[in-house]
Amino acid sequence: MCYSTDNATSKKVITRDEWEKKLNAVKLRKEDMNTLVMNFLVTEGFVEAADKKFLSFPFGETAEIDLATITDRMAVKKAVQNGNVEDAIEKVNDLNPELLFHLHQQRLIELIRQGKTEEALEFAQEELAPRGEENQAFLQELEKTVALLVFEDASNCPVKDLLDISHRLKTASEVNAAILTSQSHEKDNCLDVILVLFYCEQTDPKLPSLLKILIWAQNQLEEKAVYPHINDLSTGLLEDPSE
Amino acid sequence: MTETSSSAAAVNRGDPISQFLDKIRLSSSAATRNTNTMMEEDNEESPTELNTINSAGGFLIVSPDKLSVKYTNTNLHGYDVGVAQANRPAPFKGLTYYFEIFVKDAGVKGNVAIGFTKEGFIMRRQPGWEVNSCGYHGDNGHIYRGKGTGEAFGPTYTTGDTVGAGIDYASQEFFFTKNGAFVGKIPKDIKGHLFPTVGVHSQNEEVSVNFGKKKFVFDVQGYETSVRNKQQMAIENISIPPNIGYGLVKTYLLHYGYEETLDAFNLATKTTVPPIVIAQDNAMDEDDSSYDLHQRKTLRKLVRNGDIDAALANLQDWYPQIVQDDKSVVCFLLHCQKFIELVRVGKLAEGVKYGRLELAKFVGLTKFQDIIEDCFALLVYPKPEESPVGYFLEDSQRELVADAVNAAVLSNKKDVCHLHSRLELLLRQLTVCCLERRSMNGDQGETFRLHHVLNNNSTRR
Repeated sequence: MCYSTDNATSKKVITRDEWEKKLNAVKLRKEDMNTLVMNFLVTEGFVEAADKKFLSFPFGETAEIDLATITDRMAVKKAVQNGNVEDAIEKVNDLNPELLFHLHQQRLIELIRQGKTEEALEFAQEELAPRGEENQAFLQELEKTVALLVFEDASNCPVKDLLDISHRLKTASEVNAAILTSQSHEKDNCLDVILVLFYCEQTDPKLPSLLKILIWAQNQLEEKAVYPHINDLSTGLLEDPSE
Repeated sequence: MTETSSSAAAVNRGDPISQFLDKIRLSSSAATRNTNTMMEEDNEESPTELNTINSAGGFLIVSPDKLSVKYTNTNLHGYDVGVAQANRPAPFKGLTYYFEIFVKDAGVKGNVAIGFTKEGFIMRRQPGWEVNSCGYHGDNGHIYRGKGTGEAFGPTYTTGDTVGAGIDYASQEFFFTKNGAFVGKIPKDIKGHLFPTVGVHSQNEEVSVNFGKKKFVFDVQGYETSVRNKQQMAIENISIPPNIGYGLVKTYLLHYGYEETLDAFNLATKTTVPPIVIAQDNAMDEDDSSYDLHQRKTLRKLVRNGDIDAALANLQDWYPQIVQDDKSVVCFLLHCQKFIELVRVGKLAEGVKYGRLELAKFVGLTKFQDIIEDCFALLVYPKPEESPVGYFLEDSQRELVADAVNAAVLSNKKDVCHLHSRLELLLRQLTVCCLERRSMNGDQGETFRLHHVLNNNSTRR
């Protein structure tokens, strides 16, 4: 295939024909699209519609769990939307006490990583120990975490999988923290709000994000190439590049 | 719908239903590769040690473990540098590639360098001094990008320092670090495979290399995370029309004939508080999509339940023109499915009989040959669902046939020319944009995979 370059802008030019060939070559699985639609129905609370079982083949564990807890999650989301953060935190703690524990645990790990041993111990005693007392599993987790203090090279010690989990949570909470600050909320207990947002994030449908990625991807490609765009998401029609 | 094409490849402008045959072929090749992913995984290997064959012998020696170099000469001019490359080039997949050196001994002049070079690099010159190479030099902290003079870049480095060099495939840049701190980055103008490279150029200089066996001093994961986060934030900030998701879901359900789900969905959107308004931009379009919704739903249900006889009977009743040509793709798919359903319940003898009756006519036609052979192979295995052709017995096969029937009914109505729902059009566009951008980056960096996006909690891998 030969591509011509637009001399004026030195961008690669892709004709409509070439582009359509590429589009037709994409292998999209029906199951994946069904999963996407199901995810939308479930997270938007269309429990009835989602229950119609038009996707009678397995659509993955995540969606099944989603369906089961959807009403609970919607309640959390509503609480946050209404600004009732404390209520939301309580609900999350009821539904999923592990999540709050893990987030606190992550903070502890960060303190240990940064070498702030005293602060770490203080934090462990104040925030985590009480939960450890309530729950045997938590206590064991706590002991594992504190053990990190003993190893100089935490990433090679036997409990290093904790660092992996913390990384994942950190990623999510960093993003949410950024969103939080950009919306300039003023909350006292930032950590707990991050927790709730993280929880809520899992109740957001993936479809809108994919649409945003589409727009973003088109803009990115625009920098280097001239090609047919989809400008109107609701029609999905290809428009030739305006020259 | 008569087939005129004798080639196995489907041409969408010809018979659009043929694409369903190609989908079956995809399942077949996926089974052969023993993988569930739609795109191939590159098994690129990473550098693990230094290349001792092409390293500048006579100027340096490489340690037995191939992870250290020492300058053995007395440097006199610019063409007696001791250079070593890694045994493999940096792999293209992933967001970044990164490696580090540790300066054991800066020697008499501290002329250590770290960087990237291509295959065939003149192994007597520092990385960066020749075109298509780059290097960050310890003696003056300059960056060299293909010629003998460099530019001020970062701090100098010497004995005891750990210096890292990396490639950021997303931004197409080189970046360098010193003792865990980010030093700087420059655009990567070099295309193709690049080898991690180290240079030493004065008496007693000694440097060791880390290709990842030991933990890096610089937090590469953290760097990648922050790159991803920035990208994710930029994406989050993009605005899309409100409620567009609802519209897309609705047309999807209409397109594929999920009548019951659609009814529940419509009811729900009208009864939420406040009611969700889905922009009816093209009323005629919706009429097209809702064409014979009830019939399509019925047909889909029958096929999904494996009740092929009833499906064929209904088609004969409602749309005789679709089953008129008994050598059409739709007929083939339905008869094939009937055969599969018989095998599924162990009625092999009946299956053979059916095959002789209804499928024999497809044997010898190039368009169907390979699929028929694979399908008949089901008879051979005591446990067909575990065989290499087991995909025929999966739900996805029923779904595929249901989709084909749906498409055949839709294409009845002359105005309906889309074979793809709007959602599918958008997802295709997204995939091609990502692929094209990656291809323009020399196939470097992360790829977009819908399957991964759906099964992870992050929206981009």
